[in-house]
Amino acid sequence: MALDKVGVVATAQTELRPAWGNAQHIDLISSVVTSVFKGTGLSLDDVDFIIDSGSDVLDGRSISNCGFLGALGAHHKEEARVEEDGLWAALYGVNKIRAGSGAVGLIVAYSKPSESNVDLYWNAQVEPFYQRPVGFGQRAANGVLAQQYMADHGLSADELAALVAQRWAAAAQGGRVQIDAVPDAAAVLAAKEGAAPLTELMFARPVDGAVAVLIAREDVARRVSRNPAFITGMGTSMATHSFATRDRDRLVAAENAAKMAYRSAGWDKPDAQVAEVSSSSVVGELMAIEALGLADRGKGLSATKGDKVAINRSGGALPADPIMATGLVRLAEASRQLSQPELNGSSGGAAPSRAIVHGAGGVGMQNNCVFTLEV
Amino acid sequence: MFSAPDSYPIDLPTFHSRIDLPYTLTPGKAAGTFLAEVKNQRIIGSRFASGRVVAPAQDFSSIDGEEPEAFVEAPHTGVITAFTRVDGNVIGFIKLDGCDNEFPHKVLADMADVSIGLRVKAEWDPGVEQSVLAIKGFVPAPDAPTGEVKPVVATEDALGVIPYEMKLDFYHAYGPYYGRMFDEIKENGRIMGVRQPGIDSALLPPREIDDISHKRTGTWKACADTGTIRACSIINMDVYGVTRKVPYVYAEIVLDGASTRMIHVIEIDSLEEAKEKIKPGTRVRAVWAEGERQGRVSDIARFEVIEA
Repeated sequence: MALDKVGVVATAQTELRPAWGNAQHIDLISSVVTSVFKGTGLSLDDVDFIIDSGSDVLDGRSISNCGFLGALGAHHKEEARVEEDGLWAALYGVNKIRAGSGAVGLIVAYSKPSESNVDLYWNAQVEPFYQRPVGFGQRAANGVLAQQYMADHGLSADELAALVAQRWAAAAQGGRVQIDAVPDAAAVLAAKEGAAPLTELMFARPVDGAVAVLIAREDVARRVSRNPAFITGMGTSMATHSFATRDRDRLVAAENAAKMAYRSAGWDKPDAQVAEVSSSSVVGELMAIEALGLADRGKGLSATKGDKVAINRSGGALPADPIMATGLVRLAEASRQLSQPELNGSSGGAAPSRAIVHGAGGVGMQNNCVFTLEV
Repeated sequence: MFSAPDSYPIDLPTFHSRIDLPYTLTPGKAAGTFLAEVKNQRIIGSRFASGRVVAPAQDFSSIDGEEPEAFVEAPHTGVITAFTRVDGNVIGFIKLDGCDNEFPHKVLADMADVSIGLRVKAEWDPGVEQSVLAIKGFVPAPDAPTGEVKPVVATEDALGVIPYEMKLDFYHAYGPYYGRMFDEIKENGRIMGVRQPGIDSALLPPREIDDISHKRTGTWKACADTGTIRACSIINMDVYGVTRKVPYVYAEIVLDGASTRMIHVIEIDSLEEAKEKIKPGTRVRAVWAEGERQGRVSDIARFEVIEA
């Protein structure tokens, strides 16, 4: 028996802000859960299960989803928490529907890194005997990757800074990220050192926010949504926890996740017009673009300048990284670009029909998840 | 988000909370032996059946999960294979001579003087034991001769546990609803909830969306500081991290005017008397703390039984 096809029916997200100082997690969550049904004709009563994604460490309470159940709309419903980026929560939900255990699923991811120290959050993920004491963590991992990437491919800090500025400008134009002033390349270069050779602005900026994605079996999706984007392929892969043991010139786990997704979609190559890519730094984004097959090794930057694939039209993760929700935001952004191409701005050309969505988690982008979307 | 202008807090700061967890980490045989041996200024590594040597020692290969067959002593010299600088500290990946892996450690040099392939040697900190920081870091040693991996006959006993502490500070936003509730407690000494959708009784703590119906909640309502116990337990056992002296009663109290249970405590002198008097249905009143109210649940010091 063929598996059921699953479509994205609707999405909702709060503005992504450096700090939602006047809102709790539950305020952000209930806002998107309430908003996501608008225009669909569906309500919470129609939702068969809820999968949510967030981090207990960032939230400052264990099993934090228990306190958020009411806001999630999960009272007396089937609910499960995925302690990984929200794109994995979507993967769980899609598989449930494909397997026939529900017709409508609500996927929610949220983040409030402004309430804690993000460096400590990352440090909590590294090995405590050998790595944590010497100061190795997320920033060092990205600095090491960047140093090697720039040396191998002759990239300058100026070129990286220009891409960062381009991403922030795109996010500002999209209007879903709070940005007081868009930094230009000079400002990116002049920012404080994050991990040499990267400045702080070359890292993904942690932001607060929540996102909800309503997914449904094909018959329901076609009934309630004008032009739903269908999830046609999914893949995941995780690299070894030992960062020093990984290849440093490529993201093998992202390559594997992409291959798995393309294979299940029946794609022989990454033939998409839209890509929404997660990253923890600007070099991480270039390496992810290459791992997804959108550019040859070392040529990620030229892919960001080409017009073949609109990569991170939303601005991507550099201006707005709601840790644990970033990948689900990418799914929301990509599905909107396919379902509502009239909102894509002045990009011109034919409406896109295929998208690639990428999520990442862990120190140095250890864990990777890739979706293919089609309309 | 639905914004309700009348429900915004009046300049409440964030709520500081600290999670301070003590751990006794179990390093296992390999890391335990490495950490036990650093006081002897020996770098213990692991040798696998394939001939591969990794240092510091590991119980399992990070590549294929294989278990090593023996400990070895790694030399104190090696090369830098990668580096960066975080908060002014140079962190490098070190590959010790004769070893097949790289590991992160501090590099005690200006970054301008560091390059891939630079030969380095360990600088020890004699004052440190049981930590990888017994190696203070690695210093450039361009002329250091190439070291060798040596077999190990005997080692110190592996450390069983390493005391560890994780402190995480949080600054939680109150949000508009908790914000007003705590502000009302502080400014006016009253406990405010919001009405459930279509019902007069109030949710405490208040929130924008009702947990059960997921409908928008109603208007604000002041609840009394008297109420009825709906569930309780007499606590007569010390629990790590709880500073309140036993015995006391943990009680779930529905304040008059509210529909939800509020968790608080009732102090008691006698277990027998408490068993007799304190049970579901018992009427209680709040005893407010002395002094200026802080806008916290602890502004109510405790509850006491209303004698019939």
